[in-house]
Amino acid sequence: MADNVIEVRGLLKLYGAQRAVNAIDLDIRRGEIFGLLGPNGAGKTTTILMLLGLTETSGGTVNVLGFDPVRQPLEVKRRVGYLPDAVGFYDHLTARENLVYTARLLDIPRRQIDGRILEALKSVKLDDVIDKRVSTFSRGMRQRLGIAEIVMKQAEVAILDEPTSGLDPHATFELLEMIRGLKKSGVAVLLSSHLLDRVQSVCDRVALFNKGNVALMGTVVELANQVLGAGHPLQVEASGVDVAATLNGIVGVQTVRQESDGSWRIVADRDVRAAVAQRIVSAGGALTRLADLQPSLEEVYTRYFQEARHAA
Amino acid sequence: MPRSREGSPFTGLGPVFLKEFADHLSSARMMVLMLFVIVFGAFPVATSLQTLRTVVDPNSFIFLRIFTLESEQVGISFTAALNFIIPLMAIGLGFDAVNSEFNRRTLSRVLSQPIYRDALLLGKFLGGLATLAVALVALWLIVLGAGLLLLGVPPRGVEVARGLSFLVVAIAYGGVWLAIAMLFSVIFRSTATSALCALGVWLFFFILWPLLAGALLVGLAPSEIRSMDDYAAVQSMGLGLMRLSPGTLFSEAVLGLLSPETRTLGPMLPSQMRGAIMGAPLPFDQSVLLIWPQVTGLIAGMIVVFAAAYVIFQREEVRA
Amino acid sequence: MRRLLALLVLLVLPLAGAHAQGDPPGVKGLFLLTDYPSQTVRAGEVTTIRVKVNNAGLVPEPLALSLQGVPTGWKADILGGGQPVAAVMAGVNQDVTVQIRVEVPKDAKPGSQNLVLNAKGQTLQQASLPLTLTVGTETPAKLSLKSRLPSLRGTPRSAFEYTLTVGNDSGKDLTVALSAQGPANFQNTFTEGFGSNEISSIPIEAGQTKDIKLKVTPPRDVKAGDYPVLVKVAAEGATAEMRVTLQVSGQGKLALSTKDGRLSGEAEIGKASTYTLILNNDGTAPVEEVEMSGTVPANWKVEFNPKTIPSIAPNDKKEVQVAVTPADKAIAGDYVASFRANGRGEQASADFRITVTTSTLWGIVGVGVIAVALLVLLGAVMRFGRR
Repeated sequence: MADNVIEVRGLLKLYGAQRAVNAIDLDIRRGEIFGLLGPNGAGKTTTILMLLGLTETSGGTVNVLGFDPVRQPLEVKRRVGYLPDAVGFYDHLTARENLVYTARLLDIPRRQIDGRILEALKSVKLDDVIDKRVSTFSRGMRQRLGIAEIVMKQAEVAILDEPTSGLDPHATFELLEMIRGLKKSGVAVLLSSHLLDRVQSVCDRVALFNKGNVALMGTVVELANQVLGAGHPLQVEASGVDVAATLNGIVGVQTVRQESDGSWRIVADRDVRAAVAQRIVSAGGALTRLADLQPSLEEVYTRYFQEARHAA
Repeated sequence: MPRSREGSPFTGLGPVFLKEFADHLSSARMMVLMLFVIVFGAFPVATSLQTLRTVVDPNSFIFLRIFTLESEQVGISFTAALNFIIPLMAIGLGFDAVNSEFNRRTLSRVLSQPIYRDALLLGKFLGGLATLAVALVALWLIVLGAGLLLLGVPPRGVEVARGLSFLVVAIAYGGVWLAIAMLFSVIFRSTATSALCALGVWLFFFILWPLLAGALLVGLAPSEIRSMDDYAAVQSMGLGLMRLSPGTLFSEAVLGLLSPETRTLGPMLPSQMRGAIMGAPLPFDQSVLLIWPQVTGLIAGMIVVFAAAYVIFQREEVRA
Repeated sequence: MRRLLALLVLLVLPLAGAHAQGDPPGVKGLFLLTDYPSQTVRAGEVTTIRVKVNNAGLVPEPLALSLQGVPTGWKADILGGGQPVAAVMAGVNQDVTVQIRVEVPKDAKPGSQNLVLNAKGQTLQQASLPLTLTVGTETPAKLSLKSRLPSLRGTPRSAFEYTLTVGNDSGKDLTVALSAQGPANFQNTFTEGFGSNEISSIPIEAGQTKDIKLKVTPPRDVKAGDYPVLVKVAAEGATAEMRVTLQVSGQGKLALSTKDGRLSGEAEIGKASTYTLILNNDGTAPVEEVEMSGTVPANWKVEFNPKTIPSIAPNDKKEVQVAVTPADKAIAGDYVASFRANGRGEQASADFRITVTTSTLWGIVGVGVIAVALLVLLGAVMRFGRR
């Protein structure tokens, strides 16, 4: 348990009768990147704000680095960096001045301020625009400046709310690299997003939010097993052979389904690639593709909400 | 479940205050406001100085007269001009204090630093107030300097004391309007709405309230006035209604401070005038006692409006 | 005595056939009367002798008047009503007065001259009056001066008025010059007995007296003591003088001030403020029964302690505490209060400027209002300050 930087038990947030966050449990471990996923309005941002003590909780307990954000918000905020959704800076001030203001609020000793700002801006590659006004910055630069603020703060936990929304692919890539960089320097990162494929690439674990509940939590693979069923999906493209018939009887193969002409999807409970290849080739078929399908979060997500709708 | 929070609510007050103060002083808006004030203040001061130079006045409080003299050319004294300029300045400084942080999406980022909202709001208020104070002190010094230059006599100690008290009252008056402007900046997310509402309150108190108070008085006053006491009571009631306006409190406080011969701000019965040496100036401490309710009213009003803004701000969600 | 007898004879003579009807009862007839039938005259002067023609109970008729025995060189006229007359007519029991104007020549020799004035009617009525005029050496004019109250007592501020009676004891009218000699800086003025005009001389007919008034005003700062004033009257070499005395007793003089001379003070609304007044007696006599009083604005209270002072000796001073309480509804500012001290005949007053101050209680209430506002803010922080 000492490895958890954030522990949430039964966290509740009521807006009137509506349960925006419905008694959730969360654990975020030291040094991991944790994704809060879910559609807009699922309670991600509310949860984040409660973690920071920026919004009152209606029930449950939160422990961030050993502090209670409700009673000790200053201690929490001193150690946790936060990059809000579409972060804003003071446009009439330069990047440096914006960070100086933050540094003053953080009560960083004056002698250290300049060094830490420069270092932080270097880490996000903004040191060449240190004295440019923020009004000239692009959205991606602003997000990076937000990361720089967290770096300067030397936070133990970084909470990023929709960090990649509105960014072009290149900027997104850069930002995700920086998030990985944070992780490398030992910072636990909690990020929320509704853009699943991007998050998938960086997150160690994710929690899937739905209407205030944590529907699923774990690694992406665990989630896929849970939603899409356990097993290894394979894609087979071949010609000149009846794949379904050929593969029948291989130990471990559960379903074989033709998706299109010459393309099949196979689900097995173990890695059956070698056996599949052998069977098709020995049956005289031309194997053009044999791919181990990574479970896609997108898929998990879609499937899960389909099932949730069916259930409802 | 009100659990007590830990840490001083003033944590981070200093940086917020300094940033707001620096922002105001370097902003173009401040330049415009100052220009506005100087233009508006210069005319009454210039004309009253001209009058005071030509007229050998037996009034020994000649420096105070610079502030209060209502010359014929302009028809408005310096203090009367300040009476409606100060609210304008304060509204200009405060109408977008909080909602602009929302709109720039800086609020949640700033609040995620180790400070409470208390410090943010108070720091913004104090920053605005300090800016106002700097502007007023500068204005005051300019007037004093012009007086020294053109009248060629130094002000007496008691004049300086009264002038400084006037400055304090003016700052408190500005504080009331700053609090009102900030209240609207907390209530409305749109800065334009907030500015409009603050200006609306300003117009209400300066134009509508005197009329409304008159109408209310007609309704409230007894139909028949039989004695001097009745008359005095009606007068007091009217004054009481007018004193709900911060402008009235300010002008009364200024009257008491800068016109030392002022003995009372209410109606005076003939029996109270018997034996009185009219025109004799009140001692400074007595003048201060005379206007004390006005001053405390302004300060208390400022605090209460600020408290209202505070409560609303605390209840607001930080998310944009 | 001889002349008196002669007159009696003359008077009795006409009584032989004449009986008066009125008074004196039983006396009837025609009489010529004069006060001084035998007089001294001076050479070169005119003497007038008044003679009354008295008709006692007779039928009136014209009486021719004539003078006999006028020495040569003398001129004697009978005048009536200022005009020379030759006859008179007196009603029953009535008098007619005539004057005999005698001009004595300068070279008249000393000695007696006998003249006879005859009055003769057409019937039996007649009378005569022998007059003896002696030309003799000059008799000096004589004046007398008396005062019923030659010594007066008073204060330096009193008026010392002496009534003097000046008598002309000589046989002729005199114009009497008046003068008075007192100590330095004493002012003396003479006025007529009942008039107010200031005079320096006064005419007095022969044998008459007149009352005049002498008013002596001593200087204000005169010390107590007796001061003599020598009054002198003089006419034609005759003088008379007498000494009147001013007994100047001391005079108290009150002055009202404060210890440091500052006639101003402060007083709080509704509260008594006490000031110390100093009553000085700068005069030369004690001031008795000094009573303090004051005039203050409406609804104010003023009290003195002590309210009355029995006596203040000269050059002494007494402290009086005065407590002034401004009205509850008084308005701050400067007011005038008058304090007065009234002794016997002496008074002093001082205007006191009182600066009314308001109670600082309201100031504390104001601070309380701010405190309440701050409490509201504090309550808001406690209740809502959770973020």
